[in-house]
Amino acid sequence: MVAASWHIAAKDLRLCLVRGGGLVQALLLGLLLLFVFSLSQQVGETMSAQGAAAIFWLSSAFCQVLVFNMLYSLEEVNASRLGLLLMPAPVQAVWLGKGLAGLVLLLLAQLIFLPASVVFLGQHIGAAWPQALLMLFLVDVGMAALGSLLGALSQGQAARESLLSIVLFPLLVPLLLAGIRVGSAAFAAAMPEGAASWMGIAAAFDALFCGAGIVLFSFIYAGDD
Amino acid sequence: MECLLALSHAGKCYGTRAIFKDVSCAVPAGSITLLAGANGAGKSTLMRVMAGLSRLTAGTVSHHVEAAALGYLGHATFVYPTLSALENLAFWAKLYGLNANEHSLLPLLRRVELERFARERSGTFSRGMAQRLNLARVLLLQPRLLLLDEPATGLDVRSAALLRAEIAAAKERGAGIVWISHDVAGDAPLADSIFLLQDKKLAYAGSAAAFMQGGAVW
Repeated sequence: MVAASWHIAAKDLRLCLVRGGGLVQALLLGLLLLFVFSLSQQVGETMSAQGAAAIFWLSSAFCQVLVFNMLYSLEEVNASRLGLLLMPAPVQAVWLGKGLAGLVLLLLAQLIFLPASVVFLGQHIGAAWPQALLMLFLVDVGMAALGSLLGALSQGQAARESLLSIVLFPLLVPLLLAGIRVGSAAFAAAMPEGAASWMGIAAAFDALFCGAGIVLFSFIYAGDD
Repeated sequence: MECLLALSHAGKCYGTRAIFKDVSCAVPAGSITLLAGANGAGKSTLMRVMAGLSRLTAGTVSHHVEAAALGYLGHATFVYPTLSALENLAFWAKLYGLNANEHSLLPLLRRVELERFARERSGTFSRGMAQRLNLARVLLLQPRLLLLDEPATGLDVRSAALLRAEIAAAKERGAGIVWISHDVAGDAPLADSIFLLQDKKLAYAGSAAAFMQGGAVW
């Protein structure tokens, strides 16, 4: 299953990055959000670290929706989805493969969103950045696990496509909250209180979303229309 | 004769609408079975059930081959348009744990007369070329159970002949083949048996020769 997931992820990354499959749209939307929020500041005014972290994660969340819509739409052009369903590996390999590809794309996007947050929102990198980086990874894992599950749900009929954003955002709230609380440490002088608890919450939601992906994916990603 | 696939009292509904019911049949190795019926009779749905792509509402389907030994060739080409023909084949080969180097894949493209387009993006291919690439994907797997849902759709005469030759070769290799065809009269001479879906039931399951002697027109 892991080998099949790896091949799916490698193919998706190749299509999205090398063959210009379209990370650009997700990046532009995220950068636009950061830029628009920067306009809310007076000249010389500095946004709070927590406010900046919230905008960073908002950009990341929108980016995640576009990334997973794009990843699952790759299989809809010539019904390659059926081919993936026929492969001699559990169907969860698709969930894992898409999740891995989505995680890489999200991290790449954040590699651009982070310096953009510093520049547009007038932040500076604080001393607790290693912990903030660990938190970023923990939140991204959960976002990828859930995004991969719900991205599969959104494919097919156009009416269902809106499901991804409608269902995704409420479920992501605990993870985003943890990301904002601890992520603000990247832009502040010290770690916020209760950072360890927030990290524990993020890890617990990662486990929950991974479990949900493994159990539910075969019901969502099927050959029946 | 070894049975590769068996359906027992199989039924399929979409909501309250029954597609077929009480279908029982078996697909032996080394045989070609034509699946016939009017448009909307449920042939493609039955084939998707046989492939394991669709769940039954009633009854059971038993596969006596491994998932890796099942080949499915339908209307959809499974082609990634931004990948080249070679890259498409390599992806499927890797998914099935097969050798994905050029030396093993190029002969397959040669077999379906696509070798000179091996490095071209398959998005530039015509429908017939994409379907031949799809055929190469199936040939790569060397399936023991081959399910064909109107595989000749979009193929020119030469490509259709190539397809028929590959179907005959698969039978010689011992594969069990189920084939949905629009041209039952034309394809029946290749077939050993025929399943006829009519009025949501399996109205005929028997020898192709006897079916054609009965004067059936499809």
